[in-house]
Amino acid sequence: MNGNCFEIGTIQAFLDGETAPHLSLKITNHVAACEACAHLLAEAEDESSVVFSILEREFDSLVPTQRLWSRINESIAVEKSHNPFWQKITFALSALIANPSLAVAASVLIVFSMFAAVWNLRPDTANDGNRDRAAAASIQRTEQPATLGIISNERENMPQASAAEVYSVKETNISSDKLRKLVTDVSYKEAKSQTRPQFTAVRSSPASVAEYLPGEESYVKTISDLKQNLDGQKDNILNPSSRVAYERDMAVVNDAITKMKEVVRKNPKNQSATQVLYASYQNKIDLLNSVAEREELMASLK
Amino acid sequence: MLPCFAAVFVTGVFGQSYPPRPPSHPLPVDSSKRPPYTKKFPAIYIRERSTNEKSIAVDPNVEMKICVLEGKLKINGWARDEVRVFVKNGSSITLKVLEKNAAGKPVWLRVTGSTGPGDQPSPRTDCLSGENIELDVPMRASLNLEGRVTETTVDSVKKVAVKNIGGNIFLHNITGGITASTYEGDVTVENSGGQISLVSSTGNIVAFEVSPGQIGDIFRAKTSNGAISLQRVDHRQIEANSISGSVLFNGKFLSGGLYNFKTSNGSIRMTLPVESSFQIIASYGFGSFNSDIPLKTILENVTSGGKSLHGMIGAGDATLNLTTNSGSIGIKKQ
Repeated sequence: MNGNCFEIGTIQAFLDGETAPHLSLKITNHVAACEACAHLLAEAEDESSVVFSILEREFDSLVPTQRLWSRINESIAVEKSHNPFWQKITFALSALIANPSLAVAASVLIVFSMFAAVWNLRPDTANDGNRDRAAAASIQRTEQPATLGIISNERENMPQASAAEVYSVKETNISSDKLRKLVTDVSYKEAKSQTRPQFTAVRSSPASVAEYLPGEESYVKTISDLKQNLDGQKDNILNPSSRVAYERDMAVVNDAITKMKEVVRKNPKNQSATQVLYASYQNKIDLLNSVAEREELMASLK
Repeated sequence: MLPCFAAVFVTGVFGQSYPPRPPSHPLPVDSSKRPPYTKKFPAIYIRERSTNEKSIAVDPNVEMKICVLEGKLKINGWARDEVRVFVKNGSSITLKVLEKNAAGKPVWLRVTGSTGPGDQPSPRTDCLSGENIELDVPMRASLNLEGRVTETTVDSVKKVAVKNIGGNIFLHNITGGITASTYEGDVTVENSGGQISLVSSTGNIVAFEVSPGQIGDIFRAKTSNGAISLQRVDHRQIEANSISGSVLFNGKFLSGGLYNFKTSNGSIRMTLPVESSFQIIASYGFGSFNSDIPLKTILENVTSGGKSLHGMIGAGDATLNLTTNSGSIGIKKQ
């Protein structure tokens, strides 16, 4: 102490909570009354905050004793996992045999399992027949609307034939033009149902390309590219409040696109709806661009 | 262990030696007793925190590039061919001359806070930072500002380009054009001219008493989340676009002008003189349209989702395009 004031070392110890309770009380009372000491305390506090912020990672890490304990525990766990499998089984069996009631229960379980296995492996021709008939019926049900009665399923007679080979043409009184149209429709539907799962990317599917409005595809492609670039980075670029705002705006834009697409699909000549749809696409591009530009600016200022 | 380490660190960092401390009790450090983290700037800048001022004679049409990490930035135009930079409680100042004119005066200047102790350049301190940063620049200067978190105020210079990650931007008396964008903050422009482009992601945009500098100058305003308010904007071509905010226009449409206002979810409100003359082409999807000024309907479609109106007020001298998905459109008399 210099006169009535405390030394900086004592004040530092006080800040670290290392002073005895009576000394802490003394310091508190003195600082409340002494402006010089209050100033000294504020300075020390400021410096401590800097030091603590810098050393925060060091403080948060484990102290050596805890680290040692965790290492010991890890070593035990590793040692346990390295025991051979047969040794573990031996320990388990010896524990089982040591208890007579458990041993009886285990033997009953083993006998029951063997019986169940033998029962399941027995050949069951009746069930196979039922299964075939159920499959054939389901195929017939699914194909009936497309074939409109002119094509029948003969799977029951040809159990080895593939799905493409089971159709046969029967006599009909439908005109040849109508018949051709029906066949064309069926082929188109089949082709569509086969190709669709293979082309998941919207822009690469010939069927979906035909669904685009003039110029729409370029919007969709741009959005897809921008999204790919930003996927997984939004959390790093946007703080939580900006992220919420971004997601809200994106939801608004997506909703507008969905609604307008529906309107345009119903009436492709509706120029007004098309205009709003394109404006919504542009909004989406602008939103995605703003995130990318923000990332660039943040990187340039680092 | 900890107090000793802290003492050594403090001594090393601050270059001061403190008297020896009394023997400490072997008590564990309780993190709850740590002093609160009260500083305003990252620790890396603390040791450079000081108040600095520098000035340099420049060409009156000087082009300046300024980068600010944090702090309140205020730039004023003055009637002297000199640049003065003042930083309160922040980084040091470096004025880098990138180009000089024939008379040897700087025409291109970069203001940085790049030097640390011992004049060692450090990439982390390349930008200015401080509590308050003030610049006085010639009135004909052009400024290029980039900032991370800054509240930027610029008054009475020729041209400004400013880009912030966060913070409001206020621009007054800028005669030769403005490009301003912030991701989190408002943009306000007053009594300015030239080609103007204002962008905000989550803030509002306000412009009043703004006019073009040359024929063909365009006024653009775009925000995702905020409102756009334009009062007495005299550009002949105006584009205002907001996603979930509203667009407000109070002024007059000039003959031959082209005005495009778009929102996705917000409303579009216009307050115009009764004697206005323009054609309206409005697409308002699921929204609504209302006008206090009588208009002549040329074509109207009221199908839900595809509502549109082509109408005319007066002789139809200007063209007004309005697009909204589900917002309302309203025209009121001044």
